[in-house]
Amino acid sequence: MAMALTVAPTRMELIKLRQRIALAQKGHDLLKDKMDALIMELFDALRRIQDSRAKALEQLSKAYSALSECMAVLGTLETMQAAREAKKDVQLNISTRNIMGIQVPLVEFRDIERNALARGYSLHTTSSLLDNAAREFERALKLLVGLAELEAVAFALARELEKTKRRVNALEYILIPRLKETLKFIMMRLDEIERENFTRLKRIKAIIEERR
Amino acid sequence: MDRLIKFELGRLNIHLPKRRISLRAALSSPQPQILTKDGGVHALKREELEFLSKILSESDWDKLQLPIFISLEPKLGKGAARIMGDVETKVVGQILKKEKIGSELIIYRPEVAVLRRKLPTTTQYFFVW
Repeated sequence: MAMALTVAPTRMELIKLRQRIALAQKGHDLLKDKMDALIMELFDALRRIQDSRAKALEQLSKAYSALSECMAVLGTLETMQAAREAKKDVQLNISTRNIMGIQVPLVEFRDIERNALARGYSLHTTSSLLDNAAREFERALKLLVGLAELEAVAFALARELEKTKRRVNALEYILIPRLKETLKFIMMRLDEIERENFTRLKRIKAIIEERR
Repeated sequence: MDRLIKFELGRLNIHLPKRRISLRAALSSPQPQILTKDGGVHALKREELEFLSKILSESDWDKLQLPIFISLEPKLGKGAARIMGDVETKVVGQILKKEKIGSELIIYRPEVAVLRRKLPTTTQYFFVW
């Protein structure tokens, strides 16, 4: 049972307490709405992470098999030489977006999948198998960047959800029951005072009538 | 404690933009973004803007203000949200395949999830109290 707060049992306190309960209830309802929305966003992010991870793993497996094929045909040294020559820069545009006050990263990219000329290695000494392997790795990179963004979103949402849940629980299980208990106590005390006054008046009336 | 609750309630809408921008302005900007009340930056995804421009006629591009607000009001009941504005309701109605009544549309939690999945940067939650 929630403990009542220590307040003077007066009508003024009763009015103040009713206002505090209304405010706490409103805060609770809104924070609960926020919590529900956060849960929805988190579950959506988790679902997308699952899909994205499955796609990324599948793509990585394709890319590694293309690389193995390339190494077998072109030779390990030649493939490694071409990899050293390749341009390693990827243009990413990282900004932020806001989900209910949580700043999460937003990654947008263009031209991760390059054409053979833009990759930087010599086309003269390499075969189309290398182009194929590079293309598959570029596709995998695209998926991995997307996955990293989603994971960052999920972590941020989970942290905020934990905080919001703690606040909702504090309001629901501690503050509001305590305020309601105090309200009940004041109302009972005021009723008691009223009954005492009534009895006192009746007694005084009886004494006055006896004296007459 | 009351001050804490008031502080929390005040912080609920801190992610909202200082000023909304029209779809046309967002489309013409090289980096479409909005400044939020807390001083942060909220970027809008170009692919979402392009999606919106496809489902709206060009005459509506100036009328659609971004982000679209998904108003969560406790008085609407659990899980319900309100979309306001003529063009905003038109867009949401088309995405959710729902008929609007007047200039507002009431949507429910599964629909909010669909809407947020389709438009994660061009919609924002708005807590009404």
